[in-house]
Amino acid sequence: MSDRRIPRLLQTPAVVLLLIWMLVPLSMTLYFSFIRYVLNSLRRPEWTKPSIENWRGFGNYEFVLNSKDFLLAIQNSLLIVCSILFLTVILGVLIAVLINKAFPGQGIVRVLLISPFFVMPAVNAVLWINMILDPVLGLQGVAVEGINGLLDALRMTPVIGNFFGMWPELQPISFRATQTSAWAVIIMVTWQWTPFAVLIFMTSLQSEDQQQKEAAILDGASTWSQFRFLTLPHLGRPIAIVVMIQAIFHLSLYAEIEIVSRGNGNKNLPYLIGEFANNNIGAASATGIFAVILANIVAIFLLRMVGKTLME
Amino acid sequence: MGRIVLENTTKSFGDVQVIPPLNLTIEDGEFAVFVGPSGCGKSTLLRMIAGLEDLTSGKIVIDDKDVTEVPPAQRGLAMVFQSYALYPHMTVRKNIGFPLRMEKMSQSEIDAKVDAAAKSLNLVDYLDRKPGQLSGGQRQRVAIGRAIVRDPSAFLFDEPLSNLDAALRVGMRLEISEMHQRMKTTMIYVTHDQVEAMTMADKIVVLQAGVIEQVGSPLDLYHKPRNIFVAGFIGSPKMNIFSGEEAAKFDAHSVGIRPEHLDVSTEGGIWKGTVGVAEHLGSDTFIHVHDTGLGDMFTVRISGDIAVTHGDTIYLTPHEGRMHRFDAQGMRIE
Repeated sequence: MSDRRIPRLLQTPAVVLLLIWMLVPLSMTLYFSFIRYVLNSLRRPEWTKPSIENWRGFGNYEFVLNSKDFLLAIQNSLLIVCSILFLTVILGVLIAVLINKAFPGQGIVRVLLISPFFVMPAVNAVLWINMILDPVLGLQGVAVEGINGLLDALRMTPVIGNFFGMWPELQPISFRATQTSAWAVIIMVTWQWTPFAVLIFMTSLQSEDQQQKEAAILDGASTWSQFRFLTLPHLGRPIAIVVMIQAIFHLSLYAEIEIVSRGNGNKNLPYLIGEFANNNIGAASATGIFAVILANIVAIFLLRMVGKTLME
Repeated sequence: MGRIVLENTTKSFGDVQVIPPLNLTIEDGEFAVFVGPSGCGKSTLLRMIAGLEDLTSGKIVIDDKDVTEVPPAQRGLAMVFQSYALYPHMTVRKNIGFPLRMEKMSQSEIDAKVDAAAKSLNLVDYLDRKPGQLSGGQRQRVAIGRAIVRDPSAFLFDEPLSNLDAALRVGMRLEISEMHQRMKTTMIYVTHDQVEAMTMADKIVVLQAGVIEQVGSPLDLYHKPRNIFVAGFIGSPKMNIFSGEEAAKFDAHSVGIRPEHLDVSTEGGIWKGTVGVAEHLGSDTFIHVHDTGLGDMFTVRISGDIAVTHGDTIYLTPHEGRMHRFDAQGMRIE
């Protein structure tokens, strides 16, 4: 055997395993998406077994496209992913820059900052929706009640009471409602994933060249200019990494959506797949293929955008 | 204009005083070189002048104006760093134009100045490249270009050539000297390389542990070192210094003699020794001589070639009037 064949041979098991790992589920999904395949049907028992004889062509895709939840799910997926990315990147950069300078208690602050990342997604969702965002029992309810009580007291006082009399009573927001449940998900996932962004940006900031900063100071650059022209371009690549990894993770959010509103008015693509998969595997597979396409579009689009704006 | 005066400046990091009270004047248009072994505080001193380090006490005066509390950018100084400190995400054009952009100068003015600087530094073909695509010498030039466009009252160089290879270093040394002749701007240059100091400087400041050991022209330092430290630091190969009984014959605590001021003979002379390694450079030969009875190994420099091999016996005779004599405190005796 030649020198080159031995390493290739040794690599083969890993490559083959990876190929199987990726290709088998993908081709099974593709196959199921083109046939009629349901888990349970009394009327058409032949559809409960996957078989090429139940070929449906693009029928499943048509069915998914025409289902009332599909557009909403796409919109919601994009809204949730993009909002989380936007918020985590901005908060991440700000916090990372803030804690990059040495201060007493730095170690403890850093550990505390990272800790939300270690909370399980389901626990995170339960915690937020019941203990923080709940309009009656959560922190939100308590805070709104407190402020309203204070306003009431102020209205009773002479002279300034007239002024506060013009203020409206605050209404707590119900985050389980159709219009707001997506925002509940965005808030809790942002809270959980900001530490991830902070962690990555912080390590990157520590590798920033200090002499470049000194040169910029001598060149008359203000603190803002140093941030804009040196730090932000330096963070370009880590931002791209954070955006890419988070886009992949958040396109498949499920636990938070299930816990906040059981998908009520707030489905995303994975949730829709889950609903279809209760019985209609063909439709679920077709939705899965749509999700793959969406994920690729989002990834390409976001990476281009980040690359263009930051690399001067 | 660019007359820089340091008055009783000191610098401490915590309890450690790295620069004891120090006074120094650098005249307008002068090329001053700070030289000393690593850790002697020469870079700290330069950074204090630039404003990157605060003074612990004392003051810095530039052109009769006290700038001790003035922020770095407003001191009118430009600095070239050892690592070049170019902005990696900007093209060469933007790098050179950056200080002007920070001054809010108009784009046409910036372009004109950048083009002029690029022309004088042979960088015209590289203006649209990023620093990562340039060689070490070209990066160095960009860093100098970024300093030139600001039209500073003085240039500060922090070991600018130590990251270049030997051949390029000689070339850049000449270019910087040439630039100084042309611009007549004050320059302060920090280096640990005494060859750079000797070849470029109008005035050399020799530092050790934050203390100025001697200030003077290169030849002053060579011919009349004020103390043993300067004698040993300036000149290559190092001056041979011996003390004890043999030194007492010359009415001194210790005596120094430069390698080029020794005559060599195989027949007879004042000191006798054994030849160690001989380094043949073609134009010169350095011979290391052992067992002279004068303490350390002696180095001798002779022009051309000589036929001696390892282990030969050799005699050394110092040139008349070329001996440097020092007292017990290490100070020069005239």
